[in-house]
Amino acid sequence: MFSEDGNSEVLEREPRFDDITCSLRSVSKLPRGVFPETRQVIADARRFNDEVVRPRALELDRMKHEDPDYLPWDLVEEANRRGFYSMFIPKLFGGHGMNMPALSYMLEEIGSGCSAISNLVGVHYLGIATLCGSWNTRLMNKIMRDVAAGEKSGKPCLVSLAITEPGAGTDTEELELISRAKVTCHAEKVPGGYRVNGRKIFISNGHLSTWHITIAYSDLDNPAETTVMMAIKTDMDGFSFGRQEHKMGQKGCPASELIFEDCFVPDELVCFDAEQAARYARPMAKITMQVLDYVLSASRAGVGAFGTGVARGAYEEALRFARETEVEGKLLINHEWAQCVLAEMYKNVALARLSYIETNYANGMYGLFKVLNYKPIFYFMKYLPQSLVDAFLEPLVDLDFVTWLFRKIYFDWQKDAEYERTSGWASLSKFSATDAGERNSELALELMGGAGVRTDQVAEKHLRDSKLLQIYEGTNQLNRLNLFKCMIGRSAPEAKVFED
Amino acid sequence: MKCGMDPELAMFEQTVLDFASKELLDSRQENDRFPFGPLFTDVLAKARAVGFFSVTMPEELDGSEMGTTELCLLLESLSRVDASLAGVVFTDTLAKEIVYRARGFLRLKELTGKVSELGGSLFAFPSQSDPADCVGITAEPAAEGSYVLSGKADYVVLGGIADSAVLPVRTGDGFSFFTVDLAGAGIGIGEPVQSLGLHACPAVDITLDGASGLLVGDEGQGAEHLRRVEGRMNAACAAMSLGVMKGSFEEAVAYAKERQQGGREIVNWSEVRRMLARMAVKMKAADMIVAELCRSAEGNEPGWEMGSRVAALFAGEASVELTRDGIQVLGGNGYMEDYGQEKRFRDAGQIRSLMGLAPIRELKLMESYLAGEPLY
Repeated sequence: MFSEDGNSEVLEREPRFDDITCSLRSVSKLPRGVFPETRQVIADARRFNDEVVRPRALELDRMKHEDPDYLPWDLVEEANRRGFYSMFIPKLFGGHGMNMPALSYMLEEIGSGCSAISNLVGVHYLGIATLCGSWNTRLMNKIMRDVAAGEKSGKPCLVSLAITEPGAGTDTEELELISRAKVTCHAEKVPGGYRVNGRKIFISNGHLSTWHITIAYSDLDNPAETTVMMAIKTDMDGFSFGRQEHKMGQKGCPASELIFEDCFVPDELVCFDAEQAARYARPMAKITMQVLDYVLSASRAGVGAFGTGVARGAYEEALRFARETEVEGKLLINHEWAQCVLAEMYKNVALARLSYIETNYANGMYGLFKVLNYKPIFYFMKYLPQSLVDAFLEPLVDLDFVTWLFRKIYFDWQKDAEYERTSGWASLSKFSATDAGERNSELALELMGGAGVRTDQVAEKHLRDSKLLQIYEGTNQLNRLNLFKCMIGRSAPEAKVFED
Repeated sequence: MKCGMDPELAMFEQTVLDFASKELLDSRQENDRFPFGPLFTDVLAKARAVGFFSVTMPEELDGSEMGTTELCLLLESLSRVDASLAGVVFTDTLAKEIVYRARGFLRLKELTGKVSELGGSLFAFPSQSDPADCVGITAEPAAEGSYVLSGKADYVVLGGIADSAVLPVRTGDGFSFFTVDLAGAGIGIGEPVQSLGLHACPAVDITLDGASGLLVGDEGQGAEHLRRVEGRMNAACAAMSLGVMKGSFEEAVAYAKERQQGGREIVNWSEVRRMLARMAVKMKAADMIVAELCRSAEGNEPGWEMGSRVAALFAGEASVELTRDGIQVLGGNGYMEDYGQEKRFRDAGQIRSLMGLAPIRELKLMESYLAGEPLY
């Protein structure tokens, strides 16, 4: 009656069984220790919200209105003191080793109070994730241990990702587009390293970061095959900060211009380039896209968490308002239409959250987190004392062999279907959750009317903050196209993406 | 609005657009920094000089005696460049219309003898709220027509810069409107309230502690006095939303023709072009609605006030949606203050909440229809 004959064939049809069962497959493979860790992370984030974020969010927004060049060092130092910048760095690299998917829950929590402050934490891990995507373990160790040292010394060491250029935003995140893009950040190969010239813009946390994981190109006419990823430190010759952008929202998180003028980057700070890629199976352009997809699949889940957070923040403000405001002689919460609006907002939050959770299951199975989520490695690293990690394991990561091994696992052994799955889910979460964030902010204003437009009622800040989420980490339009490419177009051979 | 416009109206529209381009365009970002930058008092003075305030008032009140069409054209054209000044004109007009339609200026003349001064000065009003929900002030009768007012009025637009305010006050089972001299005794004016949009059309919270107020019209008849002006002022709301939409659409198209992605102008990518098309549909639909509304208002056709409520609701919602896409077309640049799109998005949200909660206005629309008012 229940024959397995032909199962594979029918389960490969769209929607593919593997695409719709990421959570189901993950549950039995996940270490149980992930649960108490995640519980701890959420509790820490809620305390941070109660003690710092909610009391400071409006003040921070106002200060940036008054002085667009203000930098929130006090908040960064507070997050650093609480261990947030090394919380999710593996113990192997000097961090606290909390599981990476828990970061998304933390970003939702903080984002429900203020997505700018959530960015002050989350965007640091975008830089970290990009560094990790290169799997240059020696450089990963160097920079992440700088972050850990910054926590101990009380001088925060943040990492940013510098990819967007004045003439190329969306283009830099898709292989098919970057080959036709107007990029200008040039990394010229010179003896002992690269000489970098150009500008990067809209770099979140730029002015607050010590390290900048920078994407440049050694041939501006052929960027797809000549991508160079480098770690550039703030005090290096030829590097300087330009202006801070004047944004509509998320004002507490600076968006910076980075300027490179004959900035020499030695070979030991090159995370990844065509020469290093030559040792692996796929061509350079494909590996570049693979690296970007690993990073974006993780970071877009994070942006999904930002979107969920802002959707929740708007919902919470609307609920508070409805409970305390009389309209036409009775509390707003007792108007049937308002109850339906609040239910819609609750639904938007819940579905947005499910989208980033499912994406993280995919990342744990097939993406950036897959090694860390492997039970023996998870428990070995969790219970091995840090002193032993530092004494016996840390020296190994400086070996070329270790970099080679990780790259074999991540570059050569990942199947196309796997990165399509993680990338597709990540895009789905990114645009769904951020649309939910913007939608809930609009609904909050609709429900609150004239009170909603007052900054002291918070909802309008959520609206201003939410709009950016639909733009960065690939516009929501680009993410829809990526979802089409990864999950739909693959089964429609006649479909051509980015060839409109 | 182009539909059916005669040459005189076209000339008037061009005059306003020229004024806006000259006085507002270059300083839009700087003006929008208020209260963290200076208020554009020089522009306000020029706007007063060219007769943008008291536009619908009769000549004996220093007004220009404009009809609904001219008012809408004025507000739309200003909003196309910078909606803040339109917000100032809107609030001032709303306050004065209430007083005038309640024959309040005649009453004020009897009491003060300063009618022309009152007509020519700037009036404040809590224009982001439904007056029926403004219950923070109590009134005690004093001399004839004069009352002692105490309590708090939230979000009084122009309260920090106007000479007088018109405030709704709960009296008996209904509410009444009172005029107060904002420089008078017992008036406490708060700091400018930081808001989503229309930053250069500032609001303040006002406290009244035994302040003197003059009753507008009849006691307890605030709802009726408001009803008399709602048709015109809803049309004005719709016109402001329309102007913001036009500005956003124009900037989005211009940018899309210049900005390249994947080696070609983004206007040539079909998803972007479709976004622009959706913007065009919303903008043109609102344009036709406002034009038809003005035509029916000038003819005082039965049911035109219902149409004006529909127009305000439609254009308010459409402008929020359109300006949201207006940012998106510009990508990261759209989110930055260097471009006009983020301001338009904020202004659209602010304009949408004029005259009270949109869902309550929707419910009231249906209530009127069910009570027999013609909708079509």
